[in-house]
Amino acid sequence: MIQEIQYIGEHLLPGYIGQFCVVLSFVAALFSAWAYRCATRHNSESWGRLGKTSFGVHGLSTFTIIGTLFYIMLKQYYEYAYVQAHVNEELPMRYIFSAFWEGQEGSFLLWMFWHIILGFILIRKAGEWHHSVMIFVALIQAVLASMLLGVHINLGDFTYKLGSNPTLLLRDVMDIPLFQNADYVAQIKGTGLNALLQNYWMTIHPPTLFLGFASTTIPFAYAAAGLYTGKATEWLRTAMKWSLFSAGILGVGILMGSAWAYEALSFGGYWAWDPVENMSLVPWIILVAGVHTNLIANATGRAIRSTYIYYCLCFVGVLYSTYLTRSGILGDTSAHAFTEMGLEPQLIFMVLFFFLLSAILYIAKSRLIPVIKKEESIYSREFWMFIGALVLLFSGTIISGSTSLPVLNALINLKDPDFIGTVISDPIPHFNKFQIWIAVLVTALSGSAIFFRYKTQEYSKNQKLGYATKMFVHLVIAGVLTFLLSLWIDYFHWKYLVMAFAAWFAVTSNVHYIFKVAKNNPRVASAAISHIGFAVMIIGILTSGLNQDVLTTNPFAMRGIQDDEDLASVVTLIKEEPLYVNNHWITYESDTIVDKTRTFKIKFEREDSLRGNVDPYYVYPNVLFSNDLSKVAANNPGTKHLLSKDIFTTIAALPPAQQDVKLAKEEEDSLKYRQYIMSIGDTVFTKQHYGVLEEISFSPTNKDYLQHENDLGISARLRFKSLDGKYNEVAEPAIGVRENLLYQYHDQLNDLRVKLKLNEESFDNYFNTEDQLKYETYVMKKGDKVDYGGEEYLLMGFDNQITNQHYEAEANDIAVQAILRDTKGEQLRPTYVIREGQPFNLKDYAQRPGIHARLVHINPQSEEFTFALAQDDRSKGEIIVELAEDVTRNDVIVLEALVFPGINLFWAGSIMMLLGFFVSLLSRRKK
Amino acid sequence: MKKIYLIAALALIAAVAIIISASKDVTTYGTYASAADKNSRVKIAGQIDRDFDIEYDPINSPSAFSFTMKDSEGVSKKVILKIPKPQDFETSETVVVTGKMEEDTFVATDVQMKCPSKYKDEELKIRSEASLSM
Repeated sequence: MIQEIQYIGEHLLPGYIGQFCVVLSFVAALFSAWAYRCATRHNSESWGRLGKTSFGVHGLSTFTIIGTLFYIMLKQYYEYAYVQAHVNEELPMRYIFSAFWEGQEGSFLLWMFWHIILGFILIRKAGEWHHSVMIFVALIQAVLASMLLGVHINLGDFTYKLGSNPTLLLRDVMDIPLFQNADYVAQIKGTGLNALLQNYWMTIHPPTLFLGFASTTIPFAYAAAGLYTGKATEWLRTAMKWSLFSAGILGVGILMGSAWAYEALSFGGYWAWDPVENMSLVPWIILVAGVHTNLIANATGRAIRSTYIYYCLCFVGVLYSTYLTRSGILGDTSAHAFTEMGLEPQLIFMVLFFFLLSAILYIAKSRLIPVIKKEESIYSREFWMFIGALVLLFSGTIISGSTSLPVLNALINLKDPDFIGTVISDPIPHFNKFQIWIAVLVTALSGSAIFFRYKTQEYSKNQKLGYATKMFVHLVIAGVLTFLLSLWIDYFHWKYLVMAFAAWFAVTSNVHYIFKVAKNNPRVASAAISHIGFAVMIIGILTSGLNQDVLTTNPFAMRGIQDDEDLASVVTLIKEEPLYVNNHWITYESDTIVDKTRTFKIKFEREDSLRGNVDPYYVYPNVLFSNDLSKVAANNPGTKHLLSKDIFTTIAALPPAQQDVKLAKEEEDSLKYRQYIMSIGDTVFTKQHYGVLEEISFSPTNKDYLQHENDLGISARLRFKSLDGKYNEVAEPAIGVRENLLYQYHDQLNDLRVKLKLNEESFDNYFNTEDQLKYETYVMKKGDKVDYGGEEYLLMGFDNQITNQHYEAEANDIAVQAILRDTKGEQLRPTYVIREGQPFNLKDYAQRPGIHARLVHINPQSEEFTFALAQDDRSKGEIIVELAEDVTRNDVIVLEALVFPGINLFWAGSIMMLLGFFVSLLSRRKK
Repeated sequence: MKKIYLIAALALIAAVAIIISASKDVTTYGTYASAADKNSRVKIAGQIDRDFDIEYDPINSPSAFSFTMKDSEGVSKKVILKIPKPQDFETSETVVVTGKMEEDTFVATDVQMKCPSKYKDEELKIRSEASLSM
């Protein structure tokens, strides 16, 4: 293969456009950053215009890459690696966005897209900050664009791949023998979108989250621009609005992720302290700390340095989380599967570059920030807010510390290759035990500090007394509410009691604040709204998380004898057999398969000693098959939402044969079938039962059998009874032929553990091949009748529209189709054709009576038509039934049902908390 | 400035307490041998040994299943996992189980599965080889 292969069917133009635009996008962003730097330094409008133009070029070229990528995905050009990996024929168009950002390159593009939109807004709106702020936006864009370069750099023997280009051809990224084939394009198919990701959450969660990530850049850019230009305090007010926006959007993005996990995935909860979750939460926490110090700075001129640090940390935190989740370093510790792409060095560079940039700017310029020497008074709001921000920083540090354990392991490994890395054995309790106290501190502070005013130096005795009284009243009310809550939920441990108490305290105090102080001022109220929301969310976590209960505990497990962990959390349900657990009757009623989803209908009823079964409701958990339908790929919960609680159910398991086609075949192969040659009225015996062959049917009634035109099918109906007559069920095994392929339709009697099928040789007893048929000829005129095979056929007439499926029209054909109708209205339509002077005929077949009909000759003068008729020989009247015993039941499911009490408190609280940010933002915009 | 020192001191104490407390929460990826020595909960990463069956009986004991796993030293032992068998368990190659040794079996309560990351490429490779041999 020295010669270059000329490939057939490739579309190369999108690839060229993509590769050109990737380079252009990178260069333009880099140049834009440089031009903006010069514009800022020399206060030059012409440099500024250059910066603006090149950022525009960068934006357009990035949009072109996005457009090109969408185009090749929509067109399903599988010669492109990204298309092959994320799209396939079956992918519904509504998931094209999900497929677009399923891969790393696509999600980088999504992130860049938002930066460009935000950049355009800044160019228009930022005024005097335009040049300096855009330096940093263009810089991060250049670094992100470098992730898409896909350029190979040769350093001696070593080749380094810089970035990964989504518009590369499959044959550029992979070396497999397929590409020796000139028309390989015709042979490849797409892999398609992971079945787990085919839901609407995947369409809305990533764009929101990435807008959140992208928007954290702006407060950082303002802070950095402020120090860089020496306008060390003027940036704070604009940065404040952006950080409120960012905290709101990023919060919504994270919350959507947790709603997705709860609603659609089988994680069994809304937060699992998974590294990927943690590392999107930490920047948000730090950003919220920054919002607080920014407020202090606006009101008092203090905490400007802290605000700078928080905004930088938040931004670098976003980059660090990108590194953690995309470099593959998390390895086994995360459930989120991100494939490695060799971007690790680039990602490390990105984190370190912006970290050092922030640090160097701070070291060089922080002396420009005015510092108020006098200490804050403990009667001032700013003092306690500052402490609150520190608590948040502390929280973020703890979370990222534990999550970074794999990084620590890797670092130690550099020095000591023999070092075996450590992992957190049980992450959820580990994270919870620290964050409980963060929640207590945050709620306690938000409840007590809200009544202080900025810049207060000292309280008079009266003021002190007034404050103490107010707090005392709230503590008492909180105590009462904590007690009332205990009537509904258990606290289990004193620390949760403290947590509930602190949260209630924050609720009452902040409600009081809204009515007493904020009144109609939304800007003042916004803080209290967020604080109440946070506290309600904490109460929601106590009710739904701490008091989460398993409904489906094994009724036969003996508590106290077995270990706690041995108590099963699942039950096995047999179809249509109600099971009693924990005061409930649970019935698996039915299941249906639509496309790739098998949905189970499960009924819950509570048993009431007086009124019998009450409050019936249904849940619909489902399992999702893989794209090729060969196995179950995922299970999705079915949840019943009640006001006070959710009942959350998942299909924990199915019998192996129901999960995997391969296992089903193994199981089928292991069965020992016995053969019975049966005529109607014959009996077969199983261990406890007997079955009688009642009917042989040519339009099968087996539940899985779908009759298509021209199918041949046969089914047997066997009635099984027990010797005492109590059991009486019908089995209907069938076989069918469709387009020369034979299909078996088994039937299973689960209570007897019996499976039946028909032997294919049964077919020969009823359907004859052409050479076995004995044709008889009949000459007929229109309106004549003929008796044949127990039927009377009337020659109704003729039709020039040929419906016979084997007929393919050619020019100059003369074709006619006769219509023979029997007394039941069934029609036979044999066809007669003259093609190029040669006559031939096509037969028609009536399956039920087994009659074959041909139109063999036409006499135009006498208008006489000669038909040849034959009938299948069914005189044997036998069918070969095969029966296996001791078959595994296929009508069982393993169900897990959890109760989340008060989960609506969690959702309502989180939404209210985020609403506070937007209220604050809007009230500031109006001014 | 005094107050900020006080807070810093408090934060420092809290940090030390947290590190001490957190250090008890970590464990190493072990082997069957190290798990037997330790007699406490450990994580073992290993590969599912395909020479033995994955046994799961959803009708009679839905909340546990067993399989055989080869640890990093190449030792194969039976693992009992006390959860219903995850749907995609068969397709995973490497698994990480958390639990304890009990006599000669490893009794685990938690599993993390890693599907082979090169799976997609492999599939394409197999398909392309099949197409060439045709």
